[in-house]
Amino acid sequence: MREFLLGTLDTDHTTQFEERILTEPGVYEELLVVEEELIDQYVAGDLSALERQQFESHFLITAERQKNLRFGKLLQRYAHSHINLTEEPAIPAQSFSLPQTRTRRWAWVGIFAAILGCAGIIFVRGLVNKREAAGVVQQTIPRVVTITLLPGSAGTESSNAWRVIVSPQGAEVKLELELKNATFRNYKSELFRENKSLKVSDKLRIEAKGEQHVVPFTVTGEMLSPGDYKVKLSGVLDSGADEFIDNYSFRVIE
Amino acid sequence: MNKNWSLSQEDFDELLDWLDSDREQAGIKYEQIRSSLIKIFTGRGCLDAEELADETINRVTRKIKDIKGEFRGDPALYFFGVAKMLLLEYMRRKPPQSPPPPPDAGRAELEYRCLERCIERLSEEDRALLLREYGAKGRTQAERRKALADELGISLNALRIRVYRIRVALKECIEKCIQGSL
Repeated sequence: MREFLLGTLDTDHTTQFEERILTEPGVYEELLVVEEELIDQYVAGDLSALERQQFESHFLITAERQKNLRFGKLLQRYAHSHINLTEEPAIPAQSFSLPQTRTRRWAWVGIFAAILGCAGIIFVRGLVNKREAAGVVQQTIPRVVTITLLPGSAGTESSNAWRVIVSPQGAEVKLELELKNATFRNYKSELFRENKSLKVSDKLRIEAKGEQHVVPFTVTGEMLSPGDYKVKLSGVLDSGADEFIDNYSFRVIE
Repeated sequence: MNKNWSLSQEDFDELLDWLDSDREQAGIKYEQIRSSLIKIFTGRGCLDAEELADETINRVTRKIKDIKGEFRGDPALYFFGVAKMLLLEYMRRKPPQSPPPPPDAGRAELEYRCLERCIERLSEEDRALLLREYGAKGRTQAERRKALADELGISLNALRIRVYRIRVALKECIEKCIQGSL
């Protein structure tokens, strides 16, 4: 069901599954439940990078599902602001009797104190190391979200050429512009938000991605606030002049 | 698509009669077929899935007199055949379409206020369940659910259905709240 919802099920299995949706009420009901769970997993960050991409490009196409995603986010926001977040299962208490003689009792107290002391030192060191490590990671490897865009010339945007992206705040966004033909050595892209130019990137080079060729360029997530965007891609001729290739459209939602 | 043809009451009655001789059951089956068709078209990446589902039903209804006499088997399968043909036509046409517009920020805040009001109306047990389901951090949904199901002494599937029903009730409540009737 997840594969069906994410659009990754092969054609034969899709057809078989569609028939079951129509003829077996239980399958339809289960599909509704799985759909909600998928949204929750997306909101909670439980999906893999690939699944997130499929979720955004395939699952999230309808207004109804976008509305359900907003609902999932609202629920999480509410729950996080109304609960003490650390809920570890209670460890059952174990009963044991201390040694009876006074000398032995003090000996045991000493041993316990030593064990606790060592454990404390190890715990604090571990915590410091973890925080230091986390700090290094955050400083050197920012989160990168890769989004592949298909060409869709102005005025003829097909459903396949449109992408819907959830606002990638705090991340770097690598936009990969898929090419129909790889004919230029250098490329130039210009990012527009509702016809206002935001960023021009030139001297861009082609990269191979499977059997396709893409022109990648990176923007910050902060640049992509909710709204409609267009990327204009041009090839750069040897003379230095630009030659328009195609437009790539996408929408960023909250 | 022929949009000039309109559904007559007589045709529609005949369609319902074909689905089930009991009028109430026929209505339920009709809704099930329509909802399923919407899911199928959405699954195939069609933005206007509802329109396509309705067109499928219209096409079946248009031929209902012939179908009733000739087709044997589950009517849902006939709808499926028509839906597949329509899907092929749709893919060939590839109509220009843009995704739905994003909601404004004011709407999101209204939805949150409504959510708070609706959660207050839940039973204490459901509210607690929801907080545990969505508030816990550091574990995946599957891990959280398993721990919760164990704690409540119910099966994982029973918990899934329970969470789903709470969500559906909350969504309905929020819709009413936004429309100002709560």
